[in-house]
Amino acid sequence: MKKKIIILVILSITIFVLSLFMGPRVINPFELDGIEKEILFSIRLPRVMVAVLMGIALGASGAVLQGILRNPLADPYILGISSGASLSAALGLLSGLYIFGRFTIPLSAFIGASVVSIVVGAFGWKRGGLWPERLLLAGVGLSFLFHAALMLLMSISTDEGLRRAVLWIFGDLSIADWSLIPYGFVFIITGFIISISRAKALNALILGDELAHSLGFSVQRERMLLFVSIAFMTAASVSLGGIIGFIGLLMPHIARFLIGADSRVLIPASAICGGAFLCIADLIGKSIMPPMEIPSGIVTALIGSPYFLYLLRRRDVLSI
Amino acid sequence: MSLAYNHPILELDNVRFLYSRGKSFINNLSFSVGNGESIGLLGANGSGKSTILKLASGILKPSAGHIKLWDKPLQSYRNKDRAKLLCYLPQLLDIYVPFKVRELVSMGLYPYDIPPEITVDEVLEMVGLKEKSETYITNLSGGERRRTFIAMTLLQGAGLLLLDEPLANLDIKYQLEILRLLKELKEKKNISIIMALHDINIALQFEKVMLIKDGRILGVGNPETVLTNEMLKEAFDVGIEVRRQDLGRAYVSYENNF
Repeated sequence: MKKKIIILVILSITIFVLSLFMGPRVINPFELDGIEKEILFSIRLPRVMVAVLMGIALGASGAVLQGILRNPLADPYILGISSGASLSAALGLLSGLYIFGRFTIPLSAFIGASVVSIVVGAFGWKRGGLWPERLLLAGVGLSFLFHAALMLLMSISTDEGLRRAVLWIFGDLSIADWSLIPYGFVFIITGFIISISRAKALNALILGDELAHSLGFSVQRERMLLFVSIAFMTAASVSLGGIIGFIGLLMPHIARFLIGADSRVLIPASAICGGAFLCIADLIGKSIMPPMEIPSGIVTALIGSPYFLYLLRRRDVLSI
Repeated sequence: MSLAYNHPILELDNVRFLYSRGKSFINNLSFSVGNGESIGLLGANGSGKSTILKLASGILKPSAGHIKLWDKPLQSYRNKDRAKLLCYLPQLLDIYVPFKVRELVSMGLYPYDIPPEITVDEVLEMVGLKEKSETYITNLSGGERRRTFIAMTLLQGAGLLLLDEPLANLDIKYQLEILRLLKELKEKKNISIIMALHDINIALQFEKVMLIKDGRILGVGNPETVLTNEMLKEAFDVGIEVRRQDLGRAYVSYENNF
């Protein structure tokens, strides 16, 4: 298993480096001129960093969520966090209130995501604890509501804000710059560390609440901590680059297939796969028909869905 | 530990439990489990067997009454300390995640900071699954899956096992396999077991049975005194006849119902 992890890490670093130097303009790292330096450090590096951070956040939170909901088809977005974030960000954009300057979109998305996490948590709360089925249903219900509200907003708006909102919703990494990365980094890494530190408890929760209790875990406390880790990672990732589908759903399955199901390796492996996959998707999205860019969220869905359907055909991978 | 066979490991004293609708389900339940004792918990569907096991394992908290584990209130234990003494296996062991047998069994070590001397290989040997240690749990038969979880509880090393219908949905071959394994464990390791059952013939093989109806104990003791025709009629609401072979072994007959 160790060998596989090392190969995965090396492969991801290679992809990371490639996506720095490849693209509409191929940069030779050994012969950098002024413009290329500028492209590399002001555009590509922050963009790749955002892709990696978002991939880590979505991959890891997908692995955690599939575990706590005991549902292999769960995706961090199923909890409504992302649709709440998009609604909130769109409100921020369309209302023309640029009070926070370029922080308007990410900040309003983050606020939306955090508020929705609390609301979903409140709906999922009963008898002193969070219940997976309640969380799931509350998330699905709220998602529909937020989607409807978002569609309404978009259908009554005609300005430039609309195009920006749509692009942002489908995961637009082109807005990435250095200013947001430290904030995103702090939230994502905090969430990631919480989830890794509770990986044993997650394994136990996958076996069911009763077995988790029998193995010596405080079921509700562990589930709460894991939910908080997901909320941190998803909210930060949405505010960094919008909604990018399929990573949270797909990466845990790929990682399980490659490395194994033990959450202690599954969470980091899903995170690494997520980071690498989003870098590739972004590279494809910006290179395929320059100067036009296809939002990464569309690329991940276009690559992700056929691959997911292929996995679904392989019973041994999904086991459903 | 030089404790007498009958020293109670687990004691339930006047335990009451209400489900959320407010109707009292378990009323004034009192019993104890001795060191190395195995008890068959017998009753019709919905009689409260699972609830009793969940109360005894601390999954459900009693509305009134006391539960003691090794003379200390069950709720006063830290989760991890309790897990080293008491282990509960639910009836349904449905997991979709393809853990390998070895991975799942080694979760039995989770309560420990310093692992006990017993190893994963040893417990896999005990349950006869050593060759399948790298197999995915999702590819195992019902009996193998059940044995995998039993191996996990063995690694966990608790002296008291609370098993909810461990024989449910298993072919007779696997039922006997698991019964043999549990008997062996009891003899070799002096493990105490409470096991919910629905098969009266299997309950007749236990040294002690507890007959449950509507959340209360109809009778407790050896099967000969507890599992009488009258008591079984009351517990299951159907005419059942206990017959005895020449060798003294008892079995039940349902033929008067056909």
